[in-house]
Amino acid sequence: MKGRYVSKTVACACLVAILALVPAVVKSPYLLHLFILVYAYVIAASSLRTIAVSGQISLGHAGFMGIGAYTSAILAKELGWTPWVTMPMGGLTAMAVAIVVGYPFTRLRTIYFSMVSFFFGIGLIAIYTLLSGYTGGFYGLTGIPPLFLDSKVPYYFFFLALTVVSLLALHRFESCRIGMSLKAVAQSYAIASSVGINESGYRVLALAVGCFVVGLAGAAYAHYIIVLSQNTFDVLASINLMVYMVVGGIGSFAGPVVGAAVLVLIPELFRGLKEFTPYVYAGVLILVIFLIPQGLVGLYQPAKSLMRKLRFGRWCKRAP
Amino acid sequence: MLLEINGLIKYFGGLAAIAELDMYVREGEILGLIGPNGAGKTTVFNLITGFLRPTAGRIGFGGRDITGMKPHVIARLGIGRTFQLNPFFSDFTVLQNVIASFFLHPKSSLWGAYFNSSIYRRNEAQIAEQALAVLELVGLDKVKDDFAKNLPHGYLKMLGIARALAIRPKMLLLDEPIGGMNRDEIDLAMKAIDKTRRQGITIMLVEHNMQIMDIVDRVVVINFGQKICEGTVQEIRENAQVVEAYFGVEDDAER
Amino acid sequence: MAGVVGAAIDALMLSSIYILMSLGFALVLSINNILNFAHGALYMLGGYVCYYLAVQCGLNQWLSLLLAAVLLGLLGLFLERFCFRPFFGDPNRIIIMSIALILILETTANWFAGAGTRTIPSFAHGILKSGAISVSVERMATLIVGGVLLAVLTLFIGKTKTGKQMLAVAQNPEGAILQGIRIRRVSALAVAMSCALAAVAGSFMGALFDLKPFMGGNMLIKAIEVVVLSGIGSVGGILAGGLIIGTLDAVLPLLAGGAVTQAVGLGIIIILLLFKPQGLFGREGA
Repeated sequence: MKGRYVSKTVACACLVAILALVPAVVKSPYLLHLFILVYAYVIAASSLRTIAVSGQISLGHAGFMGIGAYTSAILAKELGWTPWVTMPMGGLTAMAVAIVVGYPFTRLRTIYFSMVSFFFGIGLIAIYTLLSGYTGGFYGLTGIPPLFLDSKVPYYFFFLALTVVSLLALHRFESCRIGMSLKAVAQSYAIASSVGINESGYRVLALAVGCFVVGLAGAAYAHYIIVLSQNTFDVLASINLMVYMVVGGIGSFAGPVVGAAVLVLIPELFRGLKEFTPYVYAGVLILVIFLIPQGLVGLYQPAKSLMRKLRFGRWCKRAP
Repeated sequence: MLLEINGLIKYFGGLAAIAELDMYVREGEILGLIGPNGAGKTTVFNLITGFLRPTAGRIGFGGRDITGMKPHVIARLGIGRTFQLNPFFSDFTVLQNVIASFFLHPKSSLWGAYFNSSIYRRNEAQIAEQALAVLELVGLDKVKDDFAKNLPHGYLKMLGIARALAIRPKMLLLDEPIGGMNRDEIDLAMKAIDKTRRQGITIMLVEHNMQIMDIVDRVVVINFGQKICEGTVQEIRENAQVVEAYFGVEDDAER
Repeated sequence: MAGVVGAAIDALMLSSIYILMSLGFALVLSINNILNFAHGALYMLGGYVCYYLAVQCGLNQWLSLLLAAVLLGLLGLFLERFCFRPFFGDPNRIIIMSIALILILETTANWFAGAGTRTIPSFAHGILKSGAISVSVERMATLIVGGVLLAVLTLFIGKTKTGKQMLAVAQNPEGAILQGIRIRRVSALAVAMSCALAAVAGSFMGALFDLKPFMGGNMLIKAIEVVVLSGIGSVGGILAGGLIIGTLDAVLPLLAGGAVTQAVGLGIIIILLLFKPQGLFGREGA
């Protein structure tokens, strides 16, 4: 018996449609805020993965988010430009910085790159302190022009749209030949060079694209929460992004999406445990890395088998 | 003279790995670079292909000075290579390994690739065809969908050659192309090398296994980073004393 | 003059603590190829263990220090075997593991120790006076013990068979295997030593200043600063880097406001990295 099956594209479209209907059902501003947070992290974690595809694990990614955020916020606040213009500029600034530090840093391989990128994130925070005239120093940057006024609903749609567009853009980047060349560079820079791929150029390209997207996301976020402090995009945020990416599954495009969604929600769900929430979080991390090496997306296949067994077979692609 | 090496010197710290090497490769020939372990053969390859920068000396390719150029630029100029330790793209299938290597010809622009232009689509279709052709040439078409990491050693060497051919090289540098292979694999490899030569590609190879002498036109013997002697296979064989002095027990040609 | 001597002692003392931490971090980084983010939390744990032994069990401070180092060394063996080795070859998951460790250690410490800060009783008492110069004996003791420990460590790595094996593994893992070095033994030892060093640093800090459940974060950052500045190339490099940053941290706040000097220091390192990304004394990374 031939069963219908739901293709990935259709499933994603359905998901987006469902998400678009959320504000009609969910009225609590707190919950909407949670969704928006997840969207921002999904974009950030996915862009981190774009860089990871080229073999570089950046542990300072939130720093670039901060560059985008501060650039856009300061330009909009001090020069009075509309956020719709300053947001892309935030992304471009983050990209420019990425290119400048990319060339020397990209010479470093694997774990040394990670360590230096981590350090770079720390350095950025120090620089924000130095420029406290503009960045507001310890007291934070306030008075950032918001994108919309009053309710969270327009922000919700804005971030949903931004997420969809960013993910589509990043997915295309990875699935075309550019992505293939990046993966080649990640697997063997020697072979990649020998077949004509400018491996350090491509690594910088991945860094630039990833940082542009995350800079844009950071800028959008700045005009949403309208207050920035040095801790908004600190070391913790960078580590979180990496955790979302790896726990979700670094080998799959959907990994960071799933990882961000699940891991942003867990602390919220277990908020009641107060100071013991970190135990739950740590527990989840340990469970996933020990039991599911490919990350949370590794649960997809077993879940499909389970669905099939429970006679939901029509919804799953039939095995050959 | 397709490739010319003049006065090549390479120091590692205080050690001279290559100490004034002069040699050339004629267009269309198969040149064998032989010498004992540690003679500097792979170092020469690395210097030619830009993976190492010479301390001094000049390398010319097709009349152009390529000394110290980056590896991907040298690949663009038409020099392909294999690697002694046989690296491969470990997460790709055999076919993907080759398709990924078709980076230079035909070349799509970044924008074209990203926005799926018609040129890009046509290029990718061409690449798919050519990838299959190359795999057939090296005899790996049957295993094209296997993951490269599952391939036996000999097949991996052929995969290396296939990848190098993907850049449509004018010259191919093969580092121990039949090393560690069994009789059938050697047969396959020699056929592939011959087919490659017939397509007009110049080949320089490094090899310990003297069976390779059957297809080599000319030989350069190096040791201690210097050229000891050169000539046709016949001349080198006749110079057996010289060869033996440097090879000692390593010669397994008669086996 | 008195101020200068005092500042110098402080600089050296701080440097020696930084070096202890950075050396531990660098050991695990170069030998096990792991970014052990839990290093700071282990430093904190070492301090608290020393406190517990010295205050709750009433042991002599120096003995507590020694025991804390030993206990954490044993913990290091446990961590290497059960938390790091299963993920050999997958640095990403190891980083996640170290994050989980931090969460567990810091949350537990926060729960046990509460919000209040503790201090380990001074390792030594009294003030040395020489003319107009007066120096706290404790600081001198910390400096001397730290220095001796580092000297012993440097000799161990450079001269003993095990130490040389560790160097070999750090520089060329495949070559080391071919030489017959038992990587597992060396790896385990590296982690154990790293934890012990962190414990010593934590105990010193706990006595000189105080203990807080979340003090590990800043120290981890310091350790990474030093390792990034010096690069992974030699023990001597780490010593130099630790000295530089320790001196900056001890001296700059005397000259200008705290946060700004921090920023300047970090900014300089970033600019240095742009030109020499492998650090002052480092070889090309991996």
